[in-house]
Amino acid sequence: METTRTPAWFAARARAWDARGAGRQLASLTRALAMPLLGIAIFLLLWQAGAARVQTTLGQLPGPALVWSEAKGLHREYLMDREREAAFHARQQERAAKMAAANPGAAAAPVRPYTASPTFYTQIVTSLKTVMSGFLLSALLAIPVGIAIGLSGPLHGAVNPLIQVFKPVSPLAWLPLVTLVVASVHDNPDPAVPKSFITSLITVALCCVWPTVINTAVGVASVSDDLNNVSKVLRLGWLQHVRRIVLPAAVPMIFTGLRLSLGVAWMVLIAAEMLSQNPGLGKFIWDEFQNGSSQSLGRIMVAVITIGLIGFLLDRVMLALQRVVSWDKNAVTR
Amino acid sequence: MTGRHEGRTRGWRARVAGILGLCAAGLLAGAPASAAIGEPEKWELKFGFIKLTDMVPLAIAYERGYFEDEGLYVTLEAQANWKVLFDRVVSGELDGAHMLAPMPLGAATGVITKSEIVTPFTLSYNGAAITVSNAVWAEMEKTVPVEDGKPKHPVSAAALKPVLESYKAQGRTFNLAMTFPVGTHNYLERYWLAAGGINPGVYAPQKGDNSGSLGAEALLSVVPPPQMVPTMEAGTTAGYCVGEPWNQQAVTKGLGVPVITSENIWTDGADKVFGMTGEFVQKNPNTTVRVVKALIRASYWLDENGNANRPEAVKIIARPAYVGADEKVIANSMTGTFEFEKGDKRPVPDFNKFFRGQYGIPYYSDAIWWLTQMRRWGHITEHQPDSWYLETAKRAFRPDIYVAAAKELIADGVMQASDFPDLDKATFIKAPQAGPLDGIVYDGTQPNAYIDSFAIGLKGSAQP
Amino acid sequence: MKTLLELSQVGIEFKTDKGPFKALDNVNLKIREGEYVSLIGHSGCGKSTVLNIVAGLLRATTGGVVLDGREVTEPGPERAVVFQNHSLLPWLSAYQNVELAVRQVFRAKKSRAEMREWIEHNLKLVHMEHALHKRPGEISGGMKQRVGIARALAMQPRVLLMDEPFGALDALTRAHLQDSLMEIQRELANTVIMITHDVDEAVLLSDRIVMMTNGPAATIGEILDVDLERPRNRLELAEDPRYNHCRQEVLRFLYEKQRKVDGTARASPGASQPEPAHAPLAAKAPAGAQMPQPARGERAVVTPLHGKHVA
Repeated sequence: METTRTPAWFAARARAWDARGAGRQLASLTRALAMPLLGIAIFLLLWQAGAARVQTTLGQLPGPALVWSEAKGLHREYLMDREREAAFHARQQERAAKMAAANPGAAAAPVRPYTASPTFYTQIVTSLKTVMSGFLLSALLAIPVGIAIGLSGPLHGAVNPLIQVFKPVSPLAWLPLVTLVVASVHDNPDPAVPKSFITSLITVALCCVWPTVINTAVGVASVSDDLNNVSKVLRLGWLQHVRRIVLPAAVPMIFTGLRLSLGVAWMVLIAAEMLSQNPGLGKFIWDEFQNGSSQSLGRIMVAVITIGLIGFLLDRVMLALQRVVSWDKNAVTR
Repeated sequence: MTGRHEGRTRGWRARVAGILGLCAAGLLAGAPASAAIGEPEKWELKFGFIKLTDMVPLAIAYERGYFEDEGLYVTLEAQANWKVLFDRVVSGELDGAHMLAPMPLGAATGVITKSEIVTPFTLSYNGAAITVSNAVWAEMEKTVPVEDGKPKHPVSAAALKPVLESYKAQGRTFNLAMTFPVGTHNYLERYWLAAGGINPGVYAPQKGDNSGSLGAEALLSVVPPPQMVPTMEAGTTAGYCVGEPWNQQAVTKGLGVPVITSENIWTDGADKVFGMTGEFVQKNPNTTVRVVKALIRASYWLDENGNANRPEAVKIIARPAYVGADEKVIANSMTGTFEFEKGDKRPVPDFNKFFRGQYGIPYYSDAIWWLTQMRRWGHITEHQPDSWYLETAKRAFRPDIYVAAAKELIADGVMQASDFPDLDKATFIKAPQAGPLDGIVYDGTQPNAYIDSFAIGLKGSAQP
Repeated sequence: MKTLLELSQVGIEFKTDKGPFKALDNVNLKIREGEYVSLIGHSGCGKSTVLNIVAGLLRATTGGVVLDGREVTEPGPERAVVFQNHSLLPWLSAYQNVELAVRQVFRAKKSRAEMREWIEHNLKLVHMEHALHKRPGEISGGMKQRVGIARALAMQPRVLLMDEPFGALDALTRAHLQDSLMEIQRELANTVIMITHDVDEAVLLSDRIVMMTNGPAATIGEILDVDLERPRNRLELAEDPRYNHCRQEVLRFLYEKQRKVDGTARASPGASQPEPAHAPLAAKAPAGAQMPQPARGERAVVTPLHGKHVA
């Protein structure tokens, strides 16, 4: 029997192949990233060149370099605010200690929350909280209504005109109405749930409910005849039919609607916050506009880019969720 | 922050002594105290403000710990515009706010949302200016008298008359901007125009006309302050009346020329006040007095030592959370100079007045002055007897709370009685004063006579 | 064998924009228990309509369908349907698809363990036991159709209705499925009505072939008994003259007697009498086997052709 031994040339080839395999992976990754990176780089160059040409009453339009420095400034403000917060709490504790020393038996005063105006990061979180609340509210309303009108032709006929009429209404048009209604109904100004938050989330819900309603209705109505026939042959009860056939079949369309709604919700929120005084990114932009300082434009651009990035992230999250939940691999998932 | 420990309440013994002292003082003087000054009923408060430099007492009271000294945890929140601010005070979302002086009066008379808004403290006196575009100034310059090589101040609106003629000849309307119909800037702008012989129009709410342009030669409309400069630049408006930093902004950008500052229209009158709902004041008397105490201290600090602390104040309100404008733009007016044409800087020490001379007291006569202007331009639709003016002023302006707060401060030892005028004898009606533009004398006890003494505007029982 | 299912003077008329459209007219058919019947005809002749009426998915405007002595008005699992497009729920696995049917039909009657066994048994029948938990998106067309059949069988139907079950599949897959079906049929002896386009399939699988005339007002044209013994092997049958003869009969019906040229149904001369002599590949024809004979109470199936112009 021949002694079998891996020939050297073969081992060398194998090693080279591994490296090539890794190299191939790297090459494909680079290719995937190359175009987006190139696009962004060209955009930044154009932006820098174009901004230098535009003069506004608030100064020259900031280029990417200036915007980046403003972003760093916002971070510095955040750090300074943390220091101030620490000092605030230190003072409180000092005062509490003095009071305790003076009145040993008295109950301790509650710890008061930090009172300064919110930093940029806090405003981002507020905006996210508000948009998710509004979006969830709209989903809770839209999906059942969409199912109902998808299943019932007459109901669809009755509700559809209302949808078409209210769909195009801008959030800024809803705001005064919503503000007044919330003010009259929500009598107790509980700081835990400020009216501005409720006004914002209701306005967001009013504007972003439509894509989900429409897509859900379409998804429910366009359950294929074949599936409906299966249900009939199996003599599924109405509730069973809806639960086991209609809803799962409609899930891809519902998700498409939800994704669209989330995009709309984020856009609407920023507009709504400007007037409703919800302390989020929209308010940040309006306040910065009112400041009119030489840094204002740069800071507003930071907010604009942040808004865009967050919108992008929200969409990607919904997309990932859709990929997990939705069974229809052919649905648009880009 | 420097100065945080100055003037701190020195322990509970001082507090007890203060209370005893106050009771004694109250018994002796018979001055009504709003309530026993005890612990605050509400500790966490939210106040709104608009991004104008005269919100500075609020910022100082926060930053220098005066609110915290009173046991109050205050959040200051910038508001989008005056309407939103006012509505949020009425709805209770804001416990109090930086307001235009006529607002509590408008609320009392129903010109704006009929509600009970009271003010125990005047945040600032003077503090506004009227700016016109470069083109309009170029025309005005031709007729403005010159003194020492510079335009003579105060500039009369009469210099606008030729501009109006040329606009009319071109078929254009002459538009001016202001911040809020029931507001200081609106009424000051109208006063200035009328004193120069130009009719700014009247409001006719009873006829459903809220444009204020009935019979107008110049049209006034609301524009948000950040947009006043761009709209002027675009030629949509010829000028505006607003507080700082927007007038100095125009000069810095080379886009406009301020022509007159408000103390030359009406001197040392209440411009911004601190407003709260009557309900809040009723339910939280201690809190209210404590808020006023903190504000008095802030105002005092701002005018202390001949405005020595103003530069530090500028640094504070230049922060984005407060006014946010560039420091150098804010600095001028706050430190007593004002730039008119580019390069024409003049000393205007009383551009912003806080404590000095007026003490932050909400004078009835100030309220009545604003009411006369509201009648003059039609916001008050009918002739009212003089007594009505005083009654309305008393409903909205509450110097009694101010007095309680001042006495508390004296009792605490933080301030001295000599810092204040004789509060016990005060009638809160200032002595008659002549208007700097037209010399017409304003006597707070005779509002109707004052209204009738104007050439332009409603008077007597006239209706639009 | 007794009659299990009877269609009696079944006719159906649809209301259209252009007026009422009579799709079927006077369809009469008796099907015995255990019989495998194919329905064949040109496209649009109403075969699916017949099936849908039997399934209860459509209601006849005249006449009716009686199953086991009771009139059929609604769909139900005792007349399980295998659809042309498998109609599997795409979000459920093969197992779960069959489970849905089993749960619905045997809710009170089987225990969970029994149900599981029954589901697996049916899937084994169609040779899908290796792909129980795969979703429709993960399996081929042929496999999906197998699952569809399994689902129908799992309902233990009285009549199995199949609407061109293999129409969407390629020839090889079709052949495999046909063989599987014959296997199942051998074991279960179901009563089956199958619609097909494929003449070979019809002859291979059925006991009787029902040939429908062209629409509108389509009805049964001829019925052919396929007296080939079971089990049937397609390779052997390819050489069998009886098989070929059956094929020719059907083809003749479809392409000579019921020719559809540009949508016009035309009669060819002498079409009403099926003549063995006209069959192109005539071989020795066993007597009587192909002649559609009125037998056992059935109505004569030779129907005058309609010379109507089908738009």
